[in-house]
Amino acid sequence: MSLLHLAIISPLILAIFIPFVHKTFPKIHTGWFLLPLPVLLFAYFLSFLSTTINGQTTMETLAWIPTLGINFTVRLDGLGLLFAMLITGIGALVVLYSIYYLSKEKEKLNQFYVYLLLFMGAMLGVVLSDNLIVLYAFWELTSFSSFLLIGYWNHRERSRYGAQKSMLITVFGGLSMLGGIILLYLMTGTFSISEAIVLADVIVNHELFTAALLCFLLGAFTKSAQFPFHIWLPDAMEAPTPVSAYLHSATMVKAGIYLVARLTPIFALSGLWIWLVAGIGILTLFWGSFNAVKHTDLKGILAYSTISQLGLIMSLLGLGAASLHYSTIDAGFYTVAVSAAVFHLLNHATFKGSLFMMVGIVDHETGTRDIRNLGGLMTIMPITFTIAIIGAFSMAGLPPFNGFLSKEMFFTGMLRAQEIGFFNMGTLGILFPIIAWVASVFTFIYSMIIVFKTFTGKFQPEKLKVKPHEAPLGLLISPVILVSLVVIIGLFPNLVAPLINTVMASILPGMEFDVHIYHWHGFNTELFMTIGVILAGILLYKFMPKWTGVYTRMPERFSFNSAYDNGLAAIQKGANRFTNAYMTNSIRTYLIYIFAFFIFTLGTTLIVKNAFTLDTSNVASIHAFEVVLVVIIAVGSISILFAKSRMTTIILLGAVGYSVSLFYAIFRAPDLALTQLVIETVSVALFLLVFYHLPKVSRHEETRQFKMGNAIISVGVGVVVTMIALSAHSGKAFDSISQYYIENTYKKAAGENMVNVILVDFRGFDTLFEIAVLAIAALGIFSLIKLRLTRGKEQ
Amino acid sequence: MNSLITLPLLIPFFTAIILVFFAKNIPVQRWISTIGSISTIIAAVFLAITVYTDGIQTMNLGNWEAPFGITLVSDMTSILLVLTTSLIAFVCLLYSFRSIGKEREEFYYYPSFFFLVLGVNGAFTTGDIFNLFVFFEVMLMASYVLLVLGGTKIQLRETIKYLLVNIISSGLFVMGVAYLYSVVGTLNMAHISLRLHEMGQSGIVTVIAVLFLIVFGIKGALFPLYFWLPGAYYAPPAPVMAMFGALLTKVGIYSIARTYTLFFTQDVGYTHGLLEILAIFTIILGAIGAIAYSDVKKIIIYNIIVAVGVILFGVATFTPESLTGSVFYLIHDMIIKAALFLLIGIIIKVAGTSNLKEMGGLIHRYPGLGWTFFIAALALSGIPPLSGFMGKILIVRAGIDAGNYWGSGIVLLSSLFVLFSVMKIFINGFWGEAREYKQQEKVPVKWLLTAPVILTICAVLYGLGTEALYPIISTAAETLSNPEIYINAVLKE
Repeated sequence: MSLLHLAIISPLILAIFIPFVHKTFPKIHTGWFLLPLPVLLFAYFLSFLSTTINGQTTMETLAWIPTLGINFTVRLDGLGLLFAMLITGIGALVVLYSIYYLSKEKEKLNQFYVYLLLFMGAMLGVVLSDNLIVLYAFWELTSFSSFLLIGYWNHRERSRYGAQKSMLITVFGGLSMLGGIILLYLMTGTFSISEAIVLADVIVNHELFTAALLCFLLGAFTKSAQFPFHIWLPDAMEAPTPVSAYLHSATMVKAGIYLVARLTPIFALSGLWIWLVAGIGILTLFWGSFNAVKHTDLKGILAYSTISQLGLIMSLLGLGAASLHYSTIDAGFYTVAVSAAVFHLLNHATFKGSLFMMVGIVDHETGTRDIRNLGGLMTIMPITFTIAIIGAFSMAGLPPFNGFLSKEMFFTGMLRAQEIGFFNMGTLGILFPIIAWVASVFTFIYSMIIVFKTFTGKFQPEKLKVKPHEAPLGLLISPVILVSLVVIIGLFPNLVAPLINTVMASILPGMEFDVHIYHWHGFNTELFMTIGVILAGILLYKFMPKWTGVYTRMPERFSFNSAYDNGLAAIQKGANRFTNAYMTNSIRTYLIYIFAFFIFTLGTTLIVKNAFTLDTSNVASIHAFEVVLVVIIAVGSISILFAKSRMTTIILLGAVGYSVSLFYAIFRAPDLALTQLVIETVSVALFLLVFYHLPKVSRHEETRQFKMGNAIISVGVGVVVTMIALSAHSGKAFDSISQYYIENTYKKAAGENMVNVILVDFRGFDTLFEIAVLAIAALGIFSLIKLRLTRGKEQ
Repeated sequence: MNSLITLPLLIPFFTAIILVFFAKNIPVQRWISTIGSISTIIAAVFLAITVYTDGIQTMNLGNWEAPFGITLVSDMTSILLVLTTSLIAFVCLLYSFRSIGKEREEFYYYPSFFFLVLGVNGAFTTGDIFNLFVFFEVMLMASYVLLVLGGTKIQLRETIKYLLVNIISSGLFVMGVAYLYSVVGTLNMAHISLRLHEMGQSGIVTVIAVLFLIVFGIKGALFPLYFWLPGAYYAPPAPVMAMFGALLTKVGIYSIARTYTLFFTQDVGYTHGLLEILAIFTIILGAIGAIAYSDVKKIIIYNIIVAVGVILFGVATFTPESLTGSVFYLIHDMIIKAALFLLIGIIIKVAGTSNLKEMGGLIHRYPGLGWTFFIAALALSGIPPLSGFMGKILIVRAGIDAGNYWGSGIVLLSSLFVLFSVMKIFINGFWGEAREYKQQEKVPVKWLLTAPVILTICAVLYGLGTEALYPIISTAAETLSNPEIYINAVLKE
């Protein structure tokens, strides 16, 4: 185990100790014990920065199931490092923030921090594992830790609802991804991503290629809340705000983006990949930003905003993948999309993280997140306001913040979409910049809503539960650090350019990059688009009441959310109805199922396999008295069906039994005949004795239809059994082993009666346990008579 | 020849017999049971080690050379199942001590329990098709007793159904054996296999194969023959439910796996194709049933059916990889089903109801119970690195490799339904506001919880230790996929 492995597992190990620490030091906020870990880890990953930028990747393997090619292989390259630093860096800030956010008296901190650590370890595992199976294991662990965190306040119905929803959707995606992993394995023979990348050219024409691609994308889209799977993310906001900032904005939801980026070298040779990733991404971008505007809950707005921004990054990755179709020189034209994606990924983490924390502060200090109740907080909470304004303006794409830079690059990437000369991009590609622009207008609007509806306008203290005041220092540190980054990266973007280069090298292997980011590109289309966004945004923001009616025009019941709700309810209800319909609780029905199936399958097999044979060559001739016996048995058996009293039934049964024993006698099995006679006599006598004490038979008449159905099934079973018996008899292929018994009964077993010797010697083991069966039955009957627990006692 | 092979049968057998004589002395019964159960485990461990180092172990009873007498055969599949059975029996026994109640203890609960273990271990060990029938009878008779013991109304009602279905299936079983004997003239399983291979494809053998599928399908809860199961398993107390859920259907599955690898491999396209279709329907209907109810017992019961389908899908795919997957999954499912049944036994005890709509907030009072259930639920759904994962992935991979995309997809997707169904219990039963329960006092669950905790730990280790287990389990699958190994071991000339 290398240090890198330890780094990934360390949060999981610490998670084990948290409950003890929490118990031992109840006076100290448990978060303090946690905080050093992400800080240390961040420092540790930072130490890889210079070597990684120089193009080195670190790889360490720990054997887990080498026989099946499943090893815990850690691979640290540019992409992995960027994510690892985000996870630990934002992680440290979020833990610090949570110490002031969650009260140590009221909350179950031990649980909260265990879940958070589980998540941190899992997420590091996702982004650093080279082995897809291990990646999948960590992937599911992120889903479940997210599930537990969303359900942290599980006494709330909405929390449980949100937790279940996120779990179902992300685990569905996870399973789909597992399917993709298996398919990829079948194509490449490896679970290792880096080994599969080498084989990318080979597998592109494989018949499983498209299926694998779709499976992986389902996994990525569900995790990263892409349209139409985005519906779980708004409900995930039921988690405590530090969690929303961490999992549902900065890190976990980007796992899907990570996956797409990571697999680009494998799948980007397919046009379908480019179309789907770019198309779904741009659709999500629009749908998210369009819907964000209608929300009044600040966290709701941020949730949709996150969806939209994830779509933005996704679409960039999709378009950027086109560069793998070109030689290195032309490719540079499209790689700008990838660099924009990486840059925006980083920027989004900074501004969205700070915005979530800001909303958490507002919620914490005012007791509400509803913008209808908020307003005029600017003077009361000046620092929070500053955080909000920087974060929101960056999100809206305004200079000089980092969001402006990546937004400009985003426009460039989108504008170049129409230049891609294949897969119909030329004609439909024009849609990309248009949708991107419209979505950006909405982004601008909700960014303004967040700032101005909260901090300007009329202060409404009567609508607030508590008297608002500026947040304590502890709550402010983390968001202030994040907005400082927003500003610093905005002013000196080339500080991160080398990192972006390295990350791009992981996404588009074998290419050279030299990214430089500038504020000023001259008066080009991108700038005009930004200016257009601002103008249109301000106009629409000013006249919001005039047009927000469009949202009410979309009936709620056609939304994806209600499709999920109704679908889930309908599935359960339908399943219940369906299962209850065939599970009648009636043994008659069950026997009908069984026998009908018996007739159907065996009958079909007999016919299809042409198995019915009748070979009379080795059959004795039939004598008259045998015919008579058969008639007696048949008449007796049929009469039982019509018997009106128990007595008649028993006598008829006895008659049938005695006739059968006569058959044994005729066929030279006197022992069996005697046995059968004894059994018949005893059982008839016993039945008669017992039945004397029973009430009269009450046989209600069944319907004709029911009787006919049963008759058909009975006859069918009889026919099938007889046909198989005749065929089995005719199909004798070998001599029976019985010859051995005939030869050895006396010689080796020293017995004169072969049946007896078989029973007690050759197959004495059978007999031993058949006797045991009788003993068990005796115990059972004895207890059945003696022990009658009433319902009350049972409880 | 190795007489060690008889011990996992004889120890429960003699324990049961001795126990009958101490019916009224409960402490002595408990001691004898514990000793008997632990000795069975020890014997099984020794046997497993022998099988692993020296290959298949056989024993011709009464020293009648095979195929003329009855031969016991312990190959890897068999001994793994025997070992798992013995372990689960021990754990269920621990649970029974605190939950089954004095009345049942006095009325031959423990003897019947050991007879059941005898039947199950015997069925896994025998190498003779008629002897298999005998052990089925031992097992079934013991299960009738355990099911009805206590004589409550629901038990009586469900026992009569269970009894009828099983008597019919036993009748069909004897018929099947008779037909098969008529064709091949022998009962020793290795010998049957040898002769069937000599025969090649034959219509009547295919028909008999289908008949055996129906017989074992009824025991193993295969579609459309499982209808008796949900009712019957609903009636008895938790440890009996756990024994049934973990072991009984598995005997049916084992028998299908055994006969469909050892005997009926001449017309795979037809017989295994049929099995595959039935397995897929079993998964679908099981999954639908699992999400249909808000009764915790029913949820877990329908999950048995899903697992039956998954395992048999692997058997139907019939490649070394899929068989390895099936054995992996089979053992996992035995462990985890026993754990889950015991857990819901505790849940029902502390909540006073099995209806989820009347539960809530249990985790605040019983965190240990809640988290054990959570982990067990994840293991059931095949979340890595827990026990259900490896088997599932091998089954799916082999299925896709064999070109069965739909079936494999359904196996994969069934995990989602399984997860949904068990997480419903977690979300609605454990989360939420604590309800007012009949028992205001906290019910002590520590001792009861030990049993499922042991099993859940086994499930976790089973998943993490895949590398160590893999050679063992692939040996088991190798014997299944190469009948020659089995035949040679039994009929060594």
